[in-house]
Amino acid sequence: MVELVPNLLRQEMTRLAEQDARIDGRGRFEGREITLETDCLYNAEGSAKVTMGKTVVYAGVKFEIRTPWPDRPAEGSLMCGAELRPVAHRKYEPGPPSPESIELGRVVDRGIRESGCIDMNSLCIIPGEKVWGVMIDIHVLSDGGNIFDACGLAAIAALRTAVVPAERFDVGEDYTLSVNGTPIMASFTRVGGRYVYDPCEEEELGGDERIHITIGDEGHLHSLQKGLRGVFTPQEFAEIFEVAQEKCVELRKIVAKKEAN
Amino acid sequence: MGGYGDIQLLRDDGLRLDGRKLDESRPVSIQAGILPAADGSAMVTHGLNVAVAAVYGPMEAHPRKIQRQDRAVIDVRYNMAPFSTSDRIRPGYNRRSREISKVTAEALESAVLVERFPRSKIRVEIEILAAEAGTRCAGITAASVALADAGIPMRDMVVGVASGKIEDTVVLDLDKAEDNYGQADLPVGILPNTGEIAFLQMDGDLSPEEFDLAMEYNFKAAKEIHEIMVDALKARYDGGDN
Repeated sequence: MVELVPNLLRQEMTRLAEQDARIDGRGRFEGREITLETDCLYNAEGSAKVTMGKTVVYAGVKFEIRTPWPDRPAEGSLMCGAELRPVAHRKYEPGPPSPESIELGRVVDRGIRESGCIDMNSLCIIPGEKVWGVMIDIHVLSDGGNIFDACGLAAIAALRTAVVPAERFDVGEDYTLSVNGTPIMASFTRVGGRYVYDPCEEEELGGDERIHITIGDEGHLHSLQKGLRGVFTPQEFAEIFEVAQEKCVELRKIVAKKEAN
Repeated sequence: MGGYGDIQLLRDDGLRLDGRKLDESRPVSIQAGILPAADGSAMVTHGLNVAVAAVYGPMEAHPRKIQRQDRAVIDVRYNMAPFSTSDRIRPGYNRRSREISKVTAEALESAVLVERFPRSKIRVEIEILAAEAGTRCAGITAASVALADAGIPMRDMVVGVASGKIEDTVVLDLDKAEDNYGQADLPVGILPNTGEIAFLQMDGDLSPEEFDLAMEYNFKAAKEIHEIMVDALKARYDGGDN
């Protein structure tokens, strides 16, 4: 990307920030409208589609039977990966996974894993022989900004609808995967000198560093990530952490509402 | 085409296992303009298949060695999402997706007025989100609608359709079981307005007469799907949200 446009955009972002305004008219901590669909993909054992503004993301859950790690004979495994394929934006090139897509997948993975919402022991079929490997694949189809939150939401929503395909693998009857919790991510980007919640594409292009916060049902932190060049103060973090707590409660309600239907 | 003979694919009443007639397609629905980041996009649901296409461009063609002095090149990537099949697929290209990408690009280059955009590139990204036999055809259909949605001039839209043979009987639009246990598959990309064929593959065993009937079915289906494609584009621009 040529630097000229971001520099002009950056000036505009600074001007807007002085008036406490955002380029798309939102308040500083106001998110875009979110839609969530679940169970939307044939062949995936759990699936979800999330749209946030111009961002569109799908997540699908697949299972495989594998031999457990020798040091953890009664534990299954969880893996979450994200693909930033060229379909999602003209800026993405074909080729092996980019550092950005690896970061994205790993940050979402940590939030889910560290929340403990999946009991790895519950994925054991025969200790030392057979365990379930759960794989969440996230497919970004349209990058309109803040794909991290969209991916995090799609991943946990898909996981929470997953059905273990035991019949297909000849190890009993199908059953709903037990997921004890709904870890949610909230992301902030520095735009015009201050943090905003749920950055849109223009704000990411004309902004600086970003912070991703994943919070569990009890309000505990489960993953943090600072990305891109820039620094922040503990006071700035305290402010967005408080906002993140509120946002995560709101988003968790969206997941719960979908499940209640 | 392996393993045929043992599995019954036609019912005693002459209908297929899912109740379709021999010349009946699975239901098709199409939406245009579903991906805001793309210049043009479409989603095709064909039976249980879900194909999404995004179009970017025309844009500068780089590296320069791929440029054509007199026309645009169309760069197609057909890709199956890891969760699109019964067993998870490892992300990344394989021989199958490369071949499909190549022949799909050549089919689309036959329909797009590429000479209007010399030295440029049009990127077409086809993502299969759910696969149940017939993804390449759904992908071609999605790509055509996405190209039209991007405002790229074409002689006609290429419609992806397929016929095949099960239990020595020619049928339209094979589903998963019919594809796995059938005797032939004939996927075709048709330009319904001109009656031309831009995409052709086949594997299995067909007599000349069976081929003719399969083609007749394909042309009939292409006309029907073409109407759905046109309706999707109309719905996109009638709505006034553009």
